[in-house]
Amino acid sequence: MNNKIASILVACGFFLVFLFAADSFTGQSSNVNKYYTHNALEKTGSANVVNSIVWDFRGYDTLGEETVLFTAIVAVFLVAHKKGLAEEKEEKVR
Amino acid sequence: MDIIIKTTTRLLFPLILVFGCYIAMHGHLSPGGGFPGGVIIASAVLLLVIAFTQKEVETQLSEIALEDLKSIAGIALLSIVFLEVVLRPDIMHTQTPFTLWSGGVTIFLNIFGSLVVAFGLIIVIYSLIKEEWKSKKSKW
Repeated sequence: MNNKIASILVACGFFLVFLFAADSFTGQSSNVNKYYTHNALEKTGSANVVNSIVWDFRGYDTLGEETVLFTAIVAVFLVAHKKGLAEEKEEKVR
Repeated sequence: MDIIIKTTTRLLFPLILVFGCYIAMHGHLSPGGGFPGGVIIASAVLLLVIAFTQKEVETQLSEIALEDLKSIAGIALLSIVFLEVVLRPDIMHTQTPFTLWSGGVTIFLNIFGSLVVAFGLIIVIYSLIKEEWKSKKSKW
């Protein structure tokens, strides 16, 4: 019982800490927002600001997203086809 | 499934594919981009797989095609790495904005990104639906 209360208190503490941390970050990031919206067309040449942020300003982030997606896909492919390979071996043994 | 869903799927399938390609290729001009376009293309295959039975689908989409799709997705991912790291900054200063050929290499990044997402999700959908087909209680 004491463990449960302690863990709930620790979770609430982490929540509050991250809440205040996120609140303190908003003042700085607004400058970045203005820079992106004002300079996207000149810097990247694409009319869609969201797309210029996704593929140009934060390009390496998107590259990591694609890599994560591809890794998940290869994992699903391997897991889904492992069973089939085992059945083929059984058929050969028979 | 019954004949209404089958006929509607047969009519809508190429239109959904074309719409997904449009969303992916015009990502630097209009709302959309590589990820939504790829998901729309994969949703067309999901509709096909839900509406038709195993025999009808497997005449169109075989096991060998799945291997090829996985290879194409990997090659597209490597092309994204190449474009993103090597080629990104240079081309765009000679292009006029708001036309199709603008935004530097963003259009190629959108196309390759949509290839990775679409073929990957097709592989996932097809692998999962094959497990469903193997269990004999399935309605599909």
